[in-house]
Amino acid sequence: MAGLSIRSITKRFGDTEVLRGVTLDVADAEFVSLVGPSGCGKSTLLRIIAGLEDPTSGEIEIGASIVTGTRAADRNLSMVFQSYALYPHLTVAENIAVPLRMRSLSAAQRLPFVGPFLPGAKEQRTEIASAVQNAAEMLEIGALLDRKPGQLSGGQRQRVALGRALVREPAAFLLDEPLSNLDAKLRVQTRAEIAQLHRRLNATFIYVTHDQVEAMTMSDRIAVMMGGEILQCDAPSVIYEDPNDIRVAEFIGSPKINILPVELGHSEMTLFGLVLARVAEASKAGVYHLGLRPEALKLTQAEPMITGTVAHLENLGSEVYAQVALADQTARVTLRATPAERHSLRLGAQVSMSFDLQDALIFDVDGTRQRRVEVALSNEREVA
Amino acid sequence: MAVIDAPVAARTSREVNRQARTAWGLTTPALALMFLILLVPVVVAGVLSFTNYSLGNSSFDWVGFKNYDRLLSRSTYEKMFIATFTYVVVVVPVSVALGLGAALLVNSLGRIGDVYKTIYFLPVMATLLAMAIVWEFMLHPTIGVINQTLELSCGTFLEAIRFFGNGCADGFPLWLGDRDYAIWVLCFIGVWQGFGFNMVLYLAGLTGVHRELYHAAEMDGVKSAWERFRLVTWPALGPTTVFVVTISCIRAFQVFDTVEAFWPQGGGPNKSTYVMMFAIFEKGVQQNLIGIGSAITMLFLVFVMFLTLIQRWLVERKVHY
Repeated sequence: MAGLSIRSITKRFGDTEVLRGVTLDVADAEFVSLVGPSGCGKSTLLRIIAGLEDPTSGEIEIGASIVTGTRAADRNLSMVFQSYALYPHLTVAENIAVPLRMRSLSAAQRLPFVGPFLPGAKEQRTEIASAVQNAAEMLEIGALLDRKPGQLSGGQRQRVALGRALVREPAAFLLDEPLSNLDAKLRVQTRAEIAQLHRRLNATFIYVTHDQVEAMTMSDRIAVMMGGEILQCDAPSVIYEDPNDIRVAEFIGSPKINILPVELGHSEMTLFGLVLARVAEASKAGVYHLGLRPEALKLTQAEPMITGTVAHLENLGSEVYAQVALADQTARVTLRATPAERHSLRLGAQVSMSFDLQDALIFDVDGTRQRRVEVALSNEREVA
Repeated sequence: MAVIDAPVAARTSREVNRQARTAWGLTTPALALMFLILLVPVVVAGVLSFTNYSLGNSSFDWVGFKNYDRLLSRSTYEKMFIATFTYVVVVVPVSVALGLGAALLVNSLGRIGDVYKTIYFLPVMATLLAMAIVWEFMLHPTIGVINQTLELSCGTFLEAIRFFGNGCADGFPLWLGDRDYAIWVLCFIGVWQGFGFNMVLYLAGLTGVHRELYHAAEMDGVKSAWERFRLVTWPALGPTTVFVVTISCIRAFQVFDTVEAFWPQGGGPNKSTYVMMFAIFEKGVQQNLIGIGSAITMLFLVFVMFLTLIQRWLVERKVHY
């Protein structure tokens, strides 16, 4: 088990720059998710960490040694692939045993027919068999050991792939979208199991996914990647509540955060002509983006800040999401309501909403978070 | 209920009957053609193999197993079996192995691979009969390129090797005219002509190998190319190999045009290249001994059928996961 550090990794395929100087430190036993839309370079980064791909520049350090030039087989990492990549002609037990066979048996001992009779081979083989048995029991696939991958369901294959990764003790586990081929129900279940496995093994995990829910629920830290860069790497709650960039705010959270244009004058901030707050401190005047999570919007009768008509309703049972088309605007906002409030939400119904400015995130037109403006706004409110 | 059910059941069974009749009606042309062009000739050949029929004769006598008895007792046919099996046993493994090797090498190349692909595939596309004439010129004992090249070694250190020493002293082999060499020359040309086809089949098989399996192997600590081949490539090529071996066997059993081009007078020096197909042609067509020709044909069919059965068995049991 070891920590990992990635220093200003760049990767170019011809003229296209896939990774632009990515730097990331992963502590020992930490679970870090790389999350981002497809094509953001997260899988490439994982493959560079694994050693399956060479970076154009930059360094990778595992434990205390630099492994940039080392081939994947010598890096002591385990990887679970999106397609599981099980050897189709080997049984489950043989599949799980492959990493041990390759590392602890000599080339001669691996030979068919002759190998098992060479000195030392028998003890090694017994050890491997018991390690395989342990891994299989941990993943509850003990009954499947004699089957071929072709006879297994997707979830079972996924467990075998996990088993093959954890049968030896690698410096870190790399997981490349391991849940994306599972159905929704199994995904939720396996998600919890992988998180438990991480706690039990107390090992370093690097987990690539495009699904922000997976990243949110499993990780110690999430690195949100976009356009070949890590935009922000923080604990899930920080990423959700306190994003540095509008792209992070938009990517994390489902339904998506509402973005509304606000105008900052010399003394006040206005939303669609309505004065939201006064600003004493001279901030840079101009157009800003106001980010509001669906749960920050509240239905209200008195002093509505925004009004509109319900355009679409999604009832999830425990909560209701309403898309509201704003009056006189093209924008729509998504609102989270409790089931109790459902009666006032009908398609076409007029609704009035308000929000607490404290819950709002303010970004400039380039998408960078403007904490100074937020502070200025809240200071002013306290004075008032 | 029973009152209502009975007509429904009757109607359903009528419906099923109607569907079955249509199905048979639609299959009939294919079935008729299959019987007419495939099965009937086989049966006719089978029947004729028990007779002494000759084309043009108005009648024939039943001779029982006499034709088959001859096949198994006469030395000519013993030579036929030896030549045929030597050819199959040499050409099949060598052309399969070379085809696989070439496919792996070509596959590892980028754009230049296409050039090699074309070069190796050329002999497959060329007419073997025309190529055989070129080979005949090249293998000519005195004016052929091959012996002239070998003669260049005379007077050099190569003479220390027995083959070159003997060649320089007594002349290099006659190749096509030498009963010790003729069958090997035939095998060589068979391999030269056939392995390009196997290469193309293997190249197609290689495109089906899952790329991620190689990455998984690397992560699992597989370092040498040989281990990678054993763990990933070879098992993935299983179905291709079964197909390649079967098709190579059948093609090897069918070798005819080179023999006919080199030795039209009958099976090479001392009948050392008297292969089955040529025997069928010689007995059945040239000498008009339809009975014995049919008997050889039946035997040939049995071999091919046997190979096909082995292939079916392997495909179903072993190589599909």
